[in-house]
Formats: sequence, structure tokens, C-alpha cells
Amino acid sequence: MMIRERPLAGRMIGLYLVVVLAFGAIAAGAGYWGVVRADELASSPNDAAVQAAARMATRGRILDRDGTVLARSRRTDDGTPYRVYVDDAVSTPVGYASSLYGAAGLERAYAAELTGQTGADPLSRVLAKFLPPADRRLDLRTSLSLDLQRLAVRLLGTDRGAVVMLDPRTGEVLTMASTPVYDASAVAAPATSKKAFARLQADDATPLLNRATLGRYVPGSVFKIVTAIAGLGSGSVTPATTYPEQPAAEEDGLLVDGYRVRDGHHPFTGSTALDLTGATEVSCNIWYALAGLDTGGANLDAFARRLGFEKPIPFDLPTAASQLTNGGGPMAGGFLDDVELANASYGQGEVLATPLQMALVAATVANGGELMEPRLATAFIDRDGRETTIGSHSLGRVLDASANAAIVRAMTQAVEGEYGRLFTDGAAVPGVTTAGKSGTAQIGGTGEPHSWFIGFAPAEAPTVAIAVLVENGGRGGDRAAPLAGRMLRAYFDRQP
Amino acid sequence: MTGPASLADPAPRAGAPAGSGAPAGSGAPARSGAPTLPAFARPRPRPRELVLLLAVLGAVLVGSLSLGLTRTGRLEPADPVGFALFAAGLLVAHLVLVLAGRRLDQVLLPATAFLAGIGLLLMERLPQGLVVQEVGSTTLGLGELQLVWLGLALVVATTIAVGLRSDRWLRLYKYTWAAAGLLLLLLTFVFGSEVNGSRLTIDLGPVSGQPSELLKVILVVFFAAYLAENRILLADARVRIAGPISVPPLPYLAPIGAMLALALGIVVVQRDLGAALLFYAVFLALLFLATGRLTDAVLGLILFVAGFLALAALFPHVQQRLAIWIDPWSDPLGAGYQLIQSLHAFARGGLVGTGLGAGLPETGGRLPVPAVHTDFPLAAIGEELGVAGVLAVLGGYLVIVERGLRIAASSRDDFRALLAAGLALVVGVQAAIIAGGNLRLIPLTGITLPFISYGGSSLLANALVIGLLLALSDRGPAPPGPPRPPRFARLRGRHGVGARGADGAAR
Repeated sequence: MMIRERPLAGRMIGLYLVVVLAFGAIAAGAGYWGVVRADELASSPNDAAVQAAARMATRGRILDRDGTVLARSRRTDDGTPYRVYVDDAVSTPVGYASSLYGAAGLERAYAAELTGQTGADPLSRVLAKFLPPADRRLDLRTSLSLDLQRLAVRLLGTDRGAVVMLDPRTGEVLTMASTPVYDASAVAAPATSKKAFARLQADDATPLLNRATLGRYVPGSVFKIVTAIAGLGSGSVTPATTYPEQPAAEEDGLLVDGYRVRDGHHPFTGSTALDLTGATEVSCNIWYALAGLDTGGANLDAFARRLGFEKPIPFDLPTAASQLTNGGGPMAGGFLDDVELANASYGQGEVLATPLQMALVAATVANGGELMEPRLATAFIDRDGRETTIGSHSLGRVLDASANAAIVRAMTQAVEGEYGRLFTDGAAVPGVTTAGKSGTAQIGGTGEPHSWFIGFAPAEAPTVAIAVLVENGGRGGDRAAPLAGRMLRAYFDRQP
Repeated sequence: MTGPASLADPAPRAGAPAGSGAPAGSGAPARSGAPTLPAFARPRPRPRELVLLLAVLGAVLVGSLSLGLTRTGRLEPADPVGFALFAAGLLVAHLVLVLAGRRLDQVLLPATAFLAGIGLLLMERLPQGLVVQEVGSTTLGLGELQLVWLGLALVVATTIAVGLRSDRWLRLYKYTWAAAGLLLLLLTFVFGSEVNGSRLTIDLGPVSGQPSELLKVILVVFFAAYLAENRILLADARVRIAGPISVPPLPYLAPIGAMLALALGIVVVQRDLGAALLFYAVFLALLFLATGRLTDAVLGLILFVAGFLALAALFPHVQQRLAIWIDPWSDPLGAGYQLIQSLHAFARGGLVGTGLGAGLPETGGRLPVPAVHTDFPLAAIGEELGVAGVLAVLGGYLVIVERGLRIAASSRDDFRALLAAGLALVVGVQAAIIAGGNLRLIPLTGITLPFISYGGSSLLANALVIGLLLALSDRGPAPPGPPRPPRFARLRGRHGVGARGADGAAR
């Protein structure tokens, strides 16, 4: 029997080709992670080298929008660097950097830049290996205003709550307060670090929690603005839509699927069937429940998502996802039934929202229907004083300008209107047309409702939007709206 | 059907065309006129191997100096004694191969030494406390232990390369080998201790090891013997399904089925996806080599992926592995932690790396990747030597695979060809599986990076592979007897087959 002519040999080449291709794919993988994605990963606050350096390195300064230093590095007598913060009031957004406990807030988010771990393209990084090590630490300029931040914390006082104030045109956050605040300098200072941190962790008031971005609250009536956006945006309702059954339903409740949606009645509107502006001005739950049912779960869900609901908002600090429902319901949008949809339409049901999310709802209306990405960092400044600004970024148009204008009118009426003033006159700024919506969020049980306000000014050409939440603060018009008014007045007093 | 079993026959028969051990021309009688002597009696210089080894030693010395410079700021090797021992060991091995006088491949040893040298530098660079072993009154750390294992591995490889002169006991007892392999697998399952959720390690008193490393060599021997015997049947007996698609008749499908069952069984019982993938991929590659049926290999691969997905639906631990691969960031501090840290390490390294000793930041005395010395050495290389270092390492494996397939292509018969190809692939595929896992190209598995990872089982088993490949590379004197075609036929054959390498052409 003859041996065939080494038939295996020919196939070796094919096999080797397969092996070479596989190794080529692995080489491409190494290039992908080592070059293409390298900057992103190596400058992430989760990177081990960034974290290691962040504990020991001196950091660049953190500045507010006027150049006031919010955070600076000092050294102990033995040369160990530590951080000092200007005021407890900035603890929420700025956070802390500690050699023992890592970092939080902007100190964590921009650890790589502040400690000089980033800033070079792959080629100059290679070249830099042959040169003496350069000081790459950057100063971080933020959009925060120390004055407004201090005022917000002072106005919240001993209450737990949050204030978010931002420029709707750029997304620049001027104020991000969450109370109680804490002494970040005590956490950062080596001598007091352990004791201070242990005390914060044991504190029932959770001062380390950023309520503005991570606290999820029942929004109550401030959520009606989301329903209005979804209704007008989907064409399901118009500014002139009225519901004949609404006045009567205020007396004995609106029957939805055998369940009565109830509302405190509005004696001053009598038997008038309200339109969008009227219903917003007197905060009519029945009108919004009917409008929500007309809009439908799918549209409400779609527009809420456009506004940032259902997933973490892209931001410099960690954010919690606001929600419309607990999910899993059989109806479109995840609602269990029409009752849940009707209740959600005026901000009850299973709706939960962060103060930042509700500030973005106000900012979207203020910005003509376009949502800008919120941000705190506005520029990096290197050791030589060269400034690299970070541009603003749109998250997309939520609503067209004409439909948006109707909501601006309704929100203006809710603050400046004859009946609106009865609720929320505290929010109005003398000489400036103010728009807004208060909310009184029922949280069940015996607790006082959460007090909410969202708004913006001047209504004709808004330059500032705000959301205020006071936990268990009572009626929105009593607590949150006046607080917002004080903040807005302070803002306009600052303007030249 | 196959050629005679003798390898470099120490007692050449009269009439053999080439004098044993002498460089032979194209089938011409020995031109040197050397007397016929046993092959090991006459030293044969190996200049290519020497030059390559010196180049490798130079590279490792530069690496050691770089590490020393990073550590102390002075231009000195990080571990002069370790480097001296490493260099001495390789040169002694080279000398032994020269003295043995066999015509063995001259590239395999330097290529392996290159990878082992990088591995040694890495183990010297990592915290020595990662692995500590008491030997008598002295305590050995990671780097020293790796050096000891490398020394033993070198002894194993050289001994087999010089001493293994017949493949008879490999090819005749194929079912015994298969049985031994299954027994080994069973032992691991029964007596194995669980590490990181996988039952891979077997503890026998003071000695512990990972049998799957040895099992891979045994399985390759079995595959080669089985396929060499049955390949014509497997290739030619077909049952047509539709059009050009045909499969072997049912009885011949049994081995594929059995192998698939074995591989998936390992995934479930031992939770060792890496070993299963390795065994199965090498089996498919050899099946393709033996039968030339690409469709069978592709079909087998599809079956494995389908089987794996089915297992993922059934077993939470398989599903978790799949989920981590798809999105490690869904559980960044838990299941996805190591993989994310590995990707960050590659990112920190960039193109040329941080330099040996300058990367791998420790937080609180802990490395970012805890299992860096066994499962993630490529991530450490990616960080400290950069993409360039990774490419060099990948190149090292490609050289080994290329040499192995070259040896296979010029082998005298099917068994030896399949064995050589299988051994080469076992190294290449294993490297590809763990490298792909580290880089998130495929699901992460806990197998070692051959010659680089720390570990006695891995180093010794891979030394066995290199030793066998070296032994197989010696085609020795031409085998006598009728199976060998006359000279003109061989000449025709040489021109007819393109895959013959440099060694083949020299014949």
C-alpha cells in the first residue's frame, strides 16, 4: 500500500493561516484597549493608578465660576498632602479627597486631571517617557457660584433637601446643594479623618448622600410639566383641550377603572372646564389625569425618557435613574393599569424623580424645548495658566418651540396668575417674569408631604432654571416656592 | 498504512541512504563520508540556536537592567543571580543538544526561552509574597520558585529531546493513554480542591498540580494516534445530506460526539471552560488536518458554541461567565472586577508601556489584578511593556506554532505529523484563549499563558510539549524498507508539495 503524498502538509499552511488570523485579532484587541480606549480607561476615576495617585498626590485647585478657590492642597509638617475646602456648603458637589477613604464628588470624578494623570495623546506620552517628568496637574474651573451655594444651604437650614440651579442654555450648574452638608476638610485632614468619617457614616441624616442627584422622591405636581410635555409633544392634547367631566369630578372624584382619582376642589374656578393654562395654574389633578390617559403610557414613557428618565443622567457626578413606574406592568410604558397611569400623570403612582431630573424638566422648557447636558466642570487650567474650556452639549430636542411656548405660558400663569399667586407667590421675583410649578408630594403614611418647586426666569428669555425639594417640607407653595424665590432674587441681584 | 515506528534509530541498518547524524544532501549518500556511528556519539554544532539564544539572553538582560534601574536607580540587573542561573541553564541545555548530535530544530528552544525569560522577569517584578514556599530552612518567593520550575522544565524538555528515540510507545498504547487521561480527569473531579469556583487542582500530600495541563498532552497523543489510523475512513465515507453538505456515517461521528460531550462535561463538572475550549479546538484542528473536511470542523465549532449557550441557559456559573464577558461593567466591584482591572492595565500601558517595575499600582498593598501571576500575565505585560510587548509575546507563540507545523509538514508519517501539529497547536491555542480572555475578545477562562504564567504544572507540561516537538523534529536517518518510495518519487513529491520547510528541503 502506497503512502499518499503527504496530504497533511498542504493543510498545515491553511491551519497556520487560521492561527495567524487569531493572533492578529488578539493583537488588534491589544491595540484597541492599549491605544484606542486607553485615554478613557486610564483617566477614569475607577483606574487603579488614578486612585493610587489620588491618595498621595497634591491636587490642582477647584474653582468656582468667579475664580474663588473651593478646594486647595496643603501639606502637613512631614510633607503629606491633604485637602482644604472653603466651606461646608460646597461639600455636596466638590466632595472630599482623603488618603484613607478615597474620594467623592468632583474630587473623584476629576481625580485623573487634578492629580495630573491625563492630558497627553499617545504619541506625546511616548515622547514624555524620555523627558523629565512634567507637572501635569490641572486646576478645575466649575460653573458653581459659591455665593448662591452658600445661600441655598442657609435657606434649606435644618431641613433635609436639595436645590439645583442651572443655566438652561448651557447646562452649567450654578448651585447643587444637598442638606445636611458635612465638613469635607475634616474628612481630608489626616489628623481628624478617621473620626470625622466614622461620624458621617453613622449619621442617620446621611450627609454623604447627594440628594440632588441620587435622592429619588415622589415628585407630585411638579411632574405635571412632564405630562404636559408628553401630551403636547405627542399631539394627544392641545393647549385648548378641556374635559367637560372635570369640574364635577373635582367634587366626587374621577372614576378610572372603578377607582376614584380624587382632588381637593378649586372653589375659585367653579364649574369652569379648565384648559392647559388653567389646569396648571390651579394645579388640577383631574385635568392632568385625563390628559395623561389621553396621552397614553407609551407617549408618557417616551417623552419622560427624552427628558432623562429611566436611566442615569450623564453628569459629572453619579446620578440615579428617575422612574415612571416600577416596570413590568402589562400596559405600554410599564404601567399596571389606567389607575396607575392616571395617578402618575400628576406625579403620584410609582413615579420617583431626582431633584436634578426635575431641574432638567424646568430647564428644557426654559430652553425652548431643547435639553442641554448638565455639567459642573467648565474648564481645565494647566500650570502655565492655559485654559481648556469644556463646551456645552445638547441631549436633544424634547419638544418643538411652539408647543413649548404653551407650557411656558402655563407655568408663568402658575406663578404670576391670579390664582397661581395664591399658591406660589413666594417664587415670584419683583421685576422679572417668573415661571414655575409647585408640588406637594404625598408620600403615604403620616409623614408631611415633600415640598417641591421647579421654575425658571425671566419667562421671556430664561437665563436660569431651578428645582427645590424639601423633605417633609409641607405644601410646595409654603416652603419650596419661597425658597426658590429667594434663590432667583439672589441670582438676579448678582447680574450686572 | 503508516510508516515504521522507529524514530532516529540508534542502530542504522545497512543500506540506509544517509549516514546517521551526518548532514545529508538531497537523498544522496552521505557526502561527509563519516563512519556510521550512533547518533548521539558525534557532536553537531547548532550555530543558529546559539545566536538566537544569545539574542534572547541579551533581551532578558536588558529587561533585568531596566527593572533594576526602576527599582534602585542604578544600572544593575534586578536579580543578577537569577539571570546568571537562567543563562547558564539555557547554555547547558544548548551544549547537551550539541553533544547529543541529533538534528533537532534550532528555533524552538530560543523562542521558548524568550517567553520564559519575559515570564521570569515578570515573576521577579511582582510582589514576591504572592507565592511562598518553605524548602527546608529557606523560604522561596515567586521569582525564585519560577526559576526552580524553569530549571526543572528545561531538564524535562532537554531529556525528552535527547532521549526520546522511538514513538512506538506513544502510538501503540493510544487507548491506554486515553484511559489514563480519563482517569486523571476523574481523579481531579473526586479529589480535586476547588479554587475560584473551579475544580482544577489536585492535592497529593505535598505535591499539588493541575492535571488538565498534563491531560492536554495525553489527549493530543491520543487524537494523533486515533486520527492517523482512521483518517481515510473519516474522510472518504460520507453520507450526503443535501447538495455539497455531507457528514461521515454515524459510527465515525462518534469520536466528535464523545469529544464534544467530554468538553462540555468539563465545563459543567470542573467549571473549566478554558481547558474544554483548548481540548476541543485542538481536536477540531487535528480533525481538519486528518480529513481535510473543513465543514466537519466548522460544524463541530458551531455545535460547541451552541452547546455552550445551552449550558449557559442551564447553569448559573456558565451564564455568569458569559454575562461578565458581554458587560463586565455591570458588576464592576464583583464578578467583573478582575477583567475590568485587566483592561485598565492594557490602557495604562499604551503603546510602549510604563516600563518594567513602573506599573501595576498597588492600593493598600494589593495589586489591581489579584491573579496576575497565573491568569493575567498578559495584562501585566500590556501595562509595563505596552502593546509592543504584547506583540512580541504573541510573535513568540507564532514562531513556536510555525516551527511545530513545519516539523509536522515534513514528518514521515501521519501519526508524527498529527502529533507534532497537535503539540504546536496546544501551545498556540492555549495562549490565544487566555490572551483573548484577558483582552475581552472571548469569555475569560482560568488557564495559564504557556511558559510565562507562574506554576509548576503548566511549565512542566509545556516543557513536555517542547521536548516532544524537538524529538519529533529529528527525522533521523531515512527509514528503511518498502514503505519508502524510490528516490525519483520522493523528488517528485518534493516538488509537488509546497509546505516543506527549510529542513525538509535540505533532505
